[in-house]
Amino acid sequence: MSKLGLITKGLLKENPTFVLVLGMCPTLATTTSAMNGLEMGLATMFVLILSNIVISLISPVVPDKVHIPVYIVVIATFVTVLQLLMQAFVPQVYETLGLFIPLIVVNCIVLGRAEAFASKNSVGDSALDGIGIGIGFTLTLMVIGIVREILGSGSVFGWKFIAGDGILAFVMAPGAFLVLGYLMVLFNKLAKR
Amino acid sequence: MAAVSNLKNMVLSLTLVCLVCSAVLGGVFAVTSAPIKAAEVAKTNASIARVLPAFDSEPVRESISVDGTDYAYYRVPGAGYAVISTVSGFGGPLSLMVGIQEDGMICNTVVLSHSETPGLGAKCQTDASFIDQFKGWDPASKRLAVTKDGGDVDAITASTITSRAYSAAIANAYSVYLIIAGNE
Amino acid sequence: MDKLTVSPSPHLHSKASTTSIMRDVVIALSPTILVSILFYGWSEILVLAVSSVSCVLLEWLIAKYLMKRPELFSGWSALVTGLLLAMNLPSSTPWWIVVVGAIVAIGIAKMSFGGLGQNIFNPAITARVFLLISFPVQMTNWSVPDGFIGGVDAVSGATPLGIIKEGLKAGQSISEVLSANGMDARMLLRDIGGSGGEISALALVAGFIYLLVRKVVKPWIPISIIATIAVISAIFSGIDPEHFTGPNFNIMTGGVLLGALFMATDYVTSPMSNWGGVIFGVGIGLIVMMIRYFGSYPEGMSFAILIMNCFVPLINRAFHQKKYGRA
Repeated sequence: MSKLGLITKGLLKENPTFVLVLGMCPTLATTTSAMNGLEMGLATMFVLILSNIVISLISPVVPDKVHIPVYIVVIATFVTVLQLLMQAFVPQVYETLGLFIPLIVVNCIVLGRAEAFASKNSVGDSALDGIGIGIGFTLTLMVIGIVREILGSGSVFGWKFIAGDGILAFVMAPGAFLVLGYLMVLFNKLAKR
Repeated sequence: MAAVSNLKNMVLSLTLVCLVCSAVLGGVFAVTSAPIKAAEVAKTNASIARVLPAFDSEPVRESISVDGTDYAYYRVPGAGYAVISTVSGFGGPLSLMVGIQEDGMICNTVVLSHSETPGLGAKCQTDASFIDQFKGWDPASKRLAVTKDGGDVDAITASTITSRAYSAAIANAYSVYLIIAGNE
Repeated sequence: MDKLTVSPSPHLHSKASTTSIMRDVVIALSPTILVSILFYGWSEILVLAVSSVSCVLLEWLIAKYLMKRPELFSGWSALVTGLLLAMNLPSSTPWWIVVVGAIVAIGIAKMSFGGLGQNIFNPAITARVFLLISFPVQMTNWSVPDGFIGGVDAVSGATPLGIIKEGLKAGQSISEVLSANGMDARMLLRDIGGSGGEISALALVAGFIYLLVRKVVKPWIPISIIATIAVISAIFSGIDPEHFTGPNFNIMTGGVLLGALFMATDYVTSPMSNWGGVIFGVGIGLIVMMIRYFGSYPEGMSFAILIMNCFVPLINRAFHQKKYGRA
């Protein structure tokens, strides 16, 4: 696969949310606004790229029977690093995303890419795969966030275009499921063309 | 591609990975612990600055037990007291920081955390006409209870329970203030 | 094809039979609609008109242009959804909220699943719950009856259930709540504010009897819902009448009658067999009383129906309808 293909497949063919349907927990929980979705996507991308690089480096020497624990320790380390960095330098962002930052450890996308891609490919390709999937995840979360913010709060990236509240269900859990479902339909219909 | 597992290399690789990871975490923690503390202090000070008039002294955190409940508060010399008061709201605990000036007037209030219903009780954080009525409130002459209960607080539309809890939190903070001020 | 296929109801023998059933439901609803118009006046007529027109129009548009299968347009059934939705809303609901409700009922709850007969959840109830969490202020400020037979100015107020809940949450007992609001227990049952369909028990029961006579519905679901509510509230209020409301109050207020008679009995979203219907009804009764006594919402009828809607496929598996040709 070409280098460019490694990056672009995360957007369409292997879109983590709409096609692989991985990482649903942060997708549903943190996309209450466009900004939250974007931040969550970027945080996941950070962990994804670094863990992909390290895992592709160490996978040849890791014994088969302990490879999952080793991968998880690596991923957990990067998540904790991210958590400390966010607490120190962007405390507001950390506060909004809160619990969902430590939960990146159990995000299926990260371990899934480690298992399915990074452990079998070169360091460079693994990094590109991390970037591609990361961008796909970030963009998807942002799009869901934009739709939910427009419908639920009547604003885009915090810029309000109606007075008062929107359709509040969309900033709550039911709206997350509805928007995800209908966007998935739309995505797959368009992707089939 | 992966090495064949035996006890020796499994123990060895796990130990090694854990050691390296701990070292990395230790390093990052050492670098970030000072900024994290600074960020926490800045956050508290920002809340205090919102509820009290401008001050140039360093707020001192203290705590006091009133009727079996522990209240944390910040003493800000020259400005007043910022009392943290938590009551039970409609959907769960409702935590406020209440700024009380040295003359006993309420300067401002800010919601620290809440779990009220979006669109109803959650407006206690955004509804300016509700929040602003407490600015410059004199608890000695105006009752901290919603008008429905014979007080002077105008409740948020359709959220009497949250408004009641908000008023009660301020009233609690004020009684804490009276004890602090009386002790001095 | 498998010869023993059990398909969920309604069994569409021909288009005419569904149409006639739905026409009967419209006739059965008409006394309730009439009473609600008498009580709430022009605002109720507006809600009814907007709701029915937008439901029918939306279903036609979605079937024809979005799904490109015009045969999915169900006509009378869409009208029934529209009328039931209107009966579930306060008469003071702004028209655009009613349209949002119609989009949820028809677009999300019905057509997304494949149209009439395929939907898991009752469309009108789904829309009501969606609107309740989306527009809590507009959806909980019920107008006090004011229409062609009242003549007073419109006042907004809480429902009796809401008043009691708020008082209990503040730690008052029921008699304290009543005296604080200047009413006695009988007034609580008489001066009920609510949605259009919640206003007259008599009209609802009359319509339901018509459906029974026409053999359109069976009585087991409503009977088991109301019996469960009666038993639970009798036990609780018998033990502690100051903190738990009694059977009369619980059956006559809120959406219990409308829900039990017209919403829970919806063909598509209720179990097929009689015993299945009893389980379904008991479940609804239990959930309603749990929400009313222990939940934070004052009313739980819509939530209860939606929750039990999820169990219908399971109930249908457990209680097969009697097969023909067996002893």
